[in-house]
Amino acid sequence: MEDLLAKVQTAFHSAFDVDPQTITLNTSPEDVPAWDSMGHVTLASSLEQLFGLTFDVDDLMEMENVREICRVLSGKLGQVQGALLN
Amino acid sequence: MRCSIEWNFAHRLVQRLGRNSDLTDAATGQVFSAADVPGRIAGFGAGFLSRGLHPRDRVLISCGLNPESVLAYLGAIYAGCVPVLVDERTLAACGDPVFAKAQAKAAWTANRVSWDGARRKGLLQMEGGFEPCPVSSVPPAPCLPDDLAVLMPTSGTAGVPRLVMVSHGNLIANTEAIIRSQSLGRDEKAMLILPVSYCFGASVVHTHLYQGGGIVFDSRFMFPDKTLRAINTYGCTTFAGVPSVYNILLRRSHLGSIPLPGLRRFLQAGGPLAPENIQALRQRMPAPELFVMYGQTEATARISCLPPDRLEGKLGSAGAPLDNLLIRVVDDQGQALPPGQTGNIQVSGPSVCAGYLDDPVATKGRFIDGWLNTGDVGSRDEQGYLWVCGRSEEFIKMRGIRVSFAEVEAVVAAVPGVFECAAAGIPHPEAGDALILFVVGEGGAHDLSTKIRHTLPPQWTCSSVRVVPQLPKTANGKIARSQLQALV
Repeated sequence: MEDLLAKVQTAFHSAFDVDPQTITLNTSPEDVPAWDSMGHVTLASSLEQLFGLTFDVDDLMEMENVREICRVLSGKLGQVQGALLN
Repeated sequence: MRCSIEWNFAHRLVQRLGRNSDLTDAATGQVFSAADVPGRIAGFGAGFLSRGLHPRDRVLISCGLNPESVLAYLGAIYAGCVPVLVDERTLAACGDPVFAKAQAKAAWTANRVSWDGARRKGLLQMEGGFEPCPVSSVPPAPCLPDDLAVLMPTSGTAGVPRLVMVSHGNLIANTEAIIRSQSLGRDEKAMLILPVSYCFGASVVHTHLYQGGGIVFDSRFMFPDKTLRAINTYGCTTFAGVPSVYNILLRRSHLGSIPLPGLRRFLQAGGPLAPENIQALRQRMPAPELFVMYGQTEATARISCLPPDRLEGKLGSAGAPLDNLLIRVVDDQGQALPPGQTGNIQVSGPSVCAGYLDDPVATKGRFIDGWLNTGDVGSRDEQGYLWVCGRSEEFIKMRGIRVSFAEVEAVVAAVPGVFECAAAGIPHPEAGDALILFVVGEGGAHDLSTKIRHTLPPQWTCSSVRVVPQLPKTANGKIARSQLQALV
């Protein structure tokens, strides 16, 4: 989870130019002024690039805070690994 | 003309509020009921005056997507104070310079927003709500139609917004013309995801309240399905968005599968929405009408509107002027051009504002003999419909950030093998705008396009690099932006 958070912090830094250390599992859109509707798209693109995956509409709706982002990511990364094993 | 409360825009609006005029915060579920809204507006007005403000004093209002911001804004106008609007999200960056520029006497923020710019200067800092007052106990400030009602921010150079001087007469004229253009009824409710500090957001608030309708504010559009569901929950009849909003709805939401039976209309403004996206929206959501509009803060808000029944036949047009405005297209010397010819778009009429606050140079460049030079390039067709090609001004907005063409051109010109470069902008589905670069190469230079693309910073979206023999220039050697736009 910590590795995942570190990568998510990197994505926040590249999307919003914020100090990665200020991003915690409890960070939500209210805490990051640039995290508005367009910001959410930018953040998603930046996460997609960094993790090499794509989000569908439902994923985006679930990513309500950093904790949820990590949960969605670990779910998807699990799927990717599962697919590779098959 | 005599000073009268009848010219006070907020007073007129309060008089016209109806039983549907609830203000709702979809994020918290908080509702200011229609019966309470007039007293809340009057309460803000009385509150500002009781704290020592006087009519004509300027008060910075921090605008979020919530009812309190609108109550504070309208309360200030009601009391004759001049609200200076700043988007809550840009308060940290723009609060201090805007406050200073406007020579504001006070600032108001919602409780949860921290900014103490006024207090730092030893001036009045206010937070949160005021006690409501019966409207009859708070007389609205009398004024003249030309009196300053609000200072609206608009993008300027160096990141500090310019402040457009919007009068009571401007607000009344534009609000009433927009209502006519959209045939707004007395039972409307708008879903608002745009702040009131943005002229398009303000115009939706004005028109719906003026008709006795209500507003639902939703700050959760980063999760668009929540907003779509709130449209249903609260029975909204109008949804307003800029192109990026519709692009997000089309690509990143369940638009179409979440039924919106009560929605009557989509309003689209704030730049052109690509025709294929207009068609996609119509296909996905055939029942609500789509109003494509064009406007500017310098003309209060809206300038033209494409009626839904002309959408098919005039796809890509910005519509016909509102019924109290004139539009003309002129060449670079100011001579009017016939239909079909591309030039600078100018607007005249009662919603064209007086100019920018304390900026005579910028005002002179844009407000000429009763005509507003929009800075946009386009043409009118034989039926009078406006076709906007793009900005002649030297800025584009990529991913929400304004970038000057001069900056882009300087970066590109520094690439070895580039002789000169001119940048233009085109609409882009994700970035808002993207760059098109016209490049003149030095003799023997090759692979320019790849070299340039490797040099551009990643946050700039470049749609294409075109190597051309020469750039269009004006008589005094400057890049002819309007001719360049025609090449895009």
